[in-house]
This record gives sequence, structure tokens and C-alpha cells, in this order.
Amino acid sequence: MNTTDMKLTIGHLYPELLNLYGDRGNVVCMVKRCLWRGIRAKAVEYHIGDRIDFSKLDIVLLGGGSDREQRIVCRELKKVQKEFKRYVEDDGVVIAVCGGYQLLGKYYRTREGVIEGLGLLDIYTEQGDGRLIGNIVLDSGLSDVPVVGFENHGGRTYLCGHKPFGRVLYGSGNDGVSGYEGVIYRNVTGTYLHGPLLPKNAQVCDHLIERALERRYGPIELKELDDRMELAANEYICRRFAGKKIAAGC
Amino acid sequence: MRLRRMLAVWAAKITEKISIHIFRRQGATWAGKIALKIYPPLLHDLAGQVRRGIFAVCGTNGKTTVNNLLCTAVEAEGYRVVCNHTGSNMLNGIVAAFALKAGLDGKLKADYACIEMDEAAAVKIIRHFSPDYMVLTNLFRDQLDRYGEIDTVMESLGKVMCAVPGMKIIVNGDEPLCTSLVMDSGNKYVTYGIREPVRECGNPREIREGRFCRHCGGLLRYRFYHYGQLGDYYCPACGFQRPGIQFDGKDVEFGEEPAFTVEGRRIRSACKGFYNIYNILAAYTALRTDGLEGVHFDEAVRGFEPENGRMEEFWIGNTRVWLNLAKNPAGFNQNIDVLMQDEGRKDILIVINDRAQDGRDVSWLWDVDFERLGKSDTGLIMVSGIRCQELMLRMKYAGIAAEMEAGTAEAVRRSVREGCGKLYVLVNYTALFDTRNILTAHAGGRL
Repeated sequence: MNTTDMKLTIGHLYPELLNLYGDRGNVVCMVKRCLWRGIRAKAVEYHIGDRIDFSKLDIVLLGGGSDREQRIVCRELKKVQKEFKRYVEDDGVVIAVCGGYQLLGKYYRTREGVIEGLGLLDIYTEQGDGRLIGNIVLDSGLSDVPVVGFENHGGRTYLCGHKPFGRVLYGSGNDGVSGYEGVIYRNVTGTYLHGPLLPKNAQVCDHLIERALERRYGPIELKELDDRMELAANEYICRRFAGKKIAAGC
Repeated sequence: MRLRRMLAVWAAKITEKISIHIFRRQGATWAGKIALKIYPPLLHDLAGQVRRGIFAVCGTNGKTTVNNLLCTAVEAEGYRVVCNHTGSNMLNGIVAAFALKAGLDGKLKADYACIEMDEAAAVKIIRHFSPDYMVLTNLFRDQLDRYGEIDTVMESLGKVMCAVPGMKIIVNGDEPLCTSLVMDSGNKYVTYGIREPVRECGNPREIREGRFCRHCGGLLRYRFYHYGQLGDYYCPACGFQRPGIQFDGKDVEFGEEPAFTVEGRRIRSACKGFYNIYNILAAYTALRTDGLEGVHFDEAVRGFEPENGRMEEFWIGNTRVWLNLAKNPAGFNQNIDVLMQDEGRKDILIVINDRAQDGRDVSWLWDVDFERLGKSDTGLIMVSGIRCQELMLRMKYAGIAAEMEAGTAEAVRRSVREGCGKLYVLVNYTALFDTRNILTAHAGGRL
């Protein structure tokens, strides 16, 4: 099937609450990279109170929010927890960032109390001492070039058997000690690399698009795009923060 | 004690001179640091000598402009004012402002102090003195890696209000976050704002802070927006709503010289931008709240020349240049608003750094509506600074054709040479100093 006949719908969940760090950049990136290939992509925003029909969605995006906002979102998503779970087990694509990543797990224990998660993944988060803030560089199976971004989180996330999104070359990652960042389960990617993760990591973006399209249309190959600008922005961060490690082939 | 105070004042003065003349940078931070080391109660002592009143100016955007306007307006009434006018708004910068204004005898002759304070540092600053008034402009997301989420900033400001219960707060009533904070504090307050809608409802894609009521968590509704979350809000669930606006800006006019009427007085300014109307209103309300007549206010505003990159104007050859600081999405979107209101052709240069003072995190660039530039009559759009690549990528995904020139000196040169004669330069915090030096060096001359 020709990609120009394909459609893709991105469900952007609760942008009024989960929009802390330029999360819109991820939406713009997915939509544009589809449109440039002739794939008719659109993003649909879901707000508190809206019914989410997961069968209509190809990619679900959860952004970052404050603890308070995360609590509101979690309460709301509990109502569709079963449908969301079915979507995940049916290989639905999810990209969850920061607060959105945390709430996919079993719980997030903060000093003020426990925020119950959606329990879609076998992970949990606990508030640590201080926040882990800074640029971050990863080696990830989803991309030939390192994955770069910025993290800013008080929670430490622990994976109970799931694969991580990447190995930390520079920065803190899930808990600052394990050397791993994020999670991958089926077609769910959770990560602390917030906001504009996808523009600087075009291969990760294309991976999500590809998985989403394959689920609906069967095996496909995405047309290559001119990614010189994306690669330049990526390479700048790599060189500046993880130059030596990368040169040493770590 | 008096001797140590004098020594501290002298040390501040000398340090500042050395910084400026030898290192060619603003010396306030070092001057304050050294002075405080020599005599820790310096700020407490000097602030205690202010005869009539101390204003503290807080809020994400507009602090420097409001503070400097207020200072100018109070001076126009014939008073002596201490002011940290360069925008050094942490403890050391504030100590320096007082110390540099003091005499060599270590005594301060001042009627008022106009002090802008960093919101996060304010808790520490008020241990030294208690302001009589706080002017609270607005709260927007800003440098999240430095300040944390708005919730954190609000908590910090709440502590300040609680610690100084006698401090009267001059608050932007159109802004729900500030207003709910002030209402909760129990401090007395005075509101300013713009009661009526003044133009087509702002930009629908704008990220708005505080969509949910701080009192009950319900979704806030709006009768209209001015911009950002500023407007006529109400909570259907608990009844929280925009309070009565005591100092109301009426008959608002935009354009090259924005104007409005407050208390029957027509005030006209050379400072472009909707947000500047709020800035002027804030200063006016502060002045009037202290009981000053403000008979010279209009003149003071008209004569007010924004400095330090707040819509600061330069001429380079035949090119008219405006330099403006824009360091968070709300500020940037307001700048884009100003560009959109200028219907003529113009070039744009954007310089973004990610040094410690800027915030290392530049993700907020993706929350700025650069897409709107596509509808404006723009010539050359150039990106520069340490993070020009990120900005270039942002432009690509916004569908805006841009050119990249990492070095700011070269970027300025090209923008002037290849441009149409009207150039807007938008910069974030540390980029401001570099860019301003370059513009100042060329100003009045040719490239």
C-alpha cells in the first residue's frame, strides 16, 4: 500500500494539563514528518471530560505536568483504564514523557502521599532527594545516532523486568544510578526526556510512526527525509556533553 | 558598627567601579556580595533609613520595566529613590543598589526604594527588610530548570506575603494565579487591570497557565482573554472570579504609541506592546496606592526610555533596530504580537543561549508560536546564539524559512546589511548582554 493513502491519528491527552516542557514539539514533529511523506496525519486533543475512543487512535501522547496536574489526569484516565490497557496489549503506540511516563506505572510515591498510577506497565516511581536536571544523552536501540534531550524530574523510576528506552551516556536517567533511562514495553515508550524529544531524535519519531502504521496497514517502509537540520541539532548536544564517550565507542 | 557599615559601603562602591572600568561588566553582584561579607546587617540598616516607603516588584514578566517606570515616576514627584534599575534582582544586587546610593558616611538619604526581586530569592531577601508594598505583575512558566513549576514559585511568594502581613499588594487582577495567591494570603491588596475586552481575542493556540481554579480545582472559564491567562475569568464551581478592578485601563489604543485612560487621565507611551500597558498600569497603581498624586506621571512615562534591552531602540546606518528580551513562552508570544501589529516589512534576528542564567533547558522554544510569523510580512529571519541549531529546527517545524549564523556579531552584521531597514532583535537573558554590546558598538555608525 502506498503511504499516501494512509491515515494516522495522534491522540494528544490533556494538553491543558500535561504541557509543561514544550510537549507540543513532539506533536508537531509526528504530524509534520507524516505530512512530508504524504501520510494524512492529524492530532486530536482530548480534554478532561472527553471520551477517548482508543480504537480510533494510532499514537497516544502523554506529556509532562506537575504532581498536582498528574493527579488530576490520573483520576480521569482511571475511568478508561481497561480500554487503555487493551490498547497497549494490542500493540497500540504510546509515547509518554515525564509525568506521563510516571503515571503509566503502578504508583508514584511523593512526600505528600502516593499518586496511584494506571498500572499499565510494571514500573513504579518514588520521589528522591533533589531533582535530576540537565542535558542527557542516551544510546538507544531505536536510533542509530544517540538520543538527546533534557531531563528534569524529582521521581526515581524503577523497572520491574521491562526493557529500558536507552543506556545513559551522559546525564542521570531513570534513577540516577542504574545507568538506564525510560522504558519500552510492546509499543509503549516512556521517558524522562521531555518536550521536544522527537524533533532532535528523528529516528525515534519515525520508529513510532512506522509502528503505528504497521499496526493498521501491515509492513511498510517510510520514505527517507532530509534530516540534516535534525542531525545537526542532535550532534551538537552529543558532542558537547558526551563527545568523549561517543568517540571512545562506549 | 558604624565604621563597618561605612567600610561595607566603600567596598561596594570600589568593587563596582573596578567591575565596570576594568572588567567592563555590571558590578552589582560582586559589590553586594563583598559589602554583605564585611557587614551582614547592611541591607537591614540601609533599608531602615528609607523615609517614606519600599516597593518590591515581583512577577515573571515586566519586573524591570515596572520597577524602572515606578522609580522614574516617583522621582518625577520630587523624591529621592533607591532602585536596582539594571535588573540585578537577587540578594547581592539589591544590597548593591542600596550601598551604591548611600553616602561615604554610610548613611542613605532616600525617600523611597523601588526594588525588583527574583521570586525565588524573595524569601531570603525579606529577612533583611520588610517592604511596604509588593507589586505582583503576573506568573508564567519561566526557566523551569531554575525556578521549578509555577506551583513552586507561588509557594515561595505565598511565604513572603505570610512573613510580611502588613505589606499591601498591588496585583494584576486580570491574572488568576496572582489574584488567588493574594486573596489567600490575607494581606491587603489593590487591583489593576483592563476590565473590558480591547481587541479580537488573542491567540487561541497560546499555552495558558493555571487553567484550573486554585481554590477548588474546577476548570476556570473566561468571558474573554487579553493574552495568556490574563482576562475575565470565573470558576463556575466555587465562585472564584476576577475581583473588581480598582485601577482600570480604559480606551486602550495600540500601535507605535500605545495609550489608555486611568482615573480620567490619558496616558501615552512610546513603549510598544500590550504587556507595556499592564506595566504602566502597575506602576501607576503603586504610586497612587502610596497616596502620591502622580501629577507628573504622564510626562514621566512619555520620557521613559526603556533600557537594557526592553524594546530598546538603536540606529545602525539607516536601519532602525529594536532589541527586546524574551526569555519564556509568554514573553516571546507577546513579542510576536508586537511584530504582527507592525504591518510593514521587517527582519528578525533571534539569539538564544543556554547558559546557567538563561536556564539550561530550551524546550520552551517549542511552546512559542513561531508559526504565526508565517502570516507576517517578514524579510530575513536569522537565528543565532549557542542554541541556534535548536532554534533552526524549531523554525523548520514551524514552517518558517530561516537562516542560521552562530556568531552573533556576524548575525547582526548580515541582518543589517541584507535587511530592509527595520530589524527586531529578540534575545534571551545572557544573549542580551552580548547582543547589546554589539548593537551599542555599531549604533549611530555604519557597519
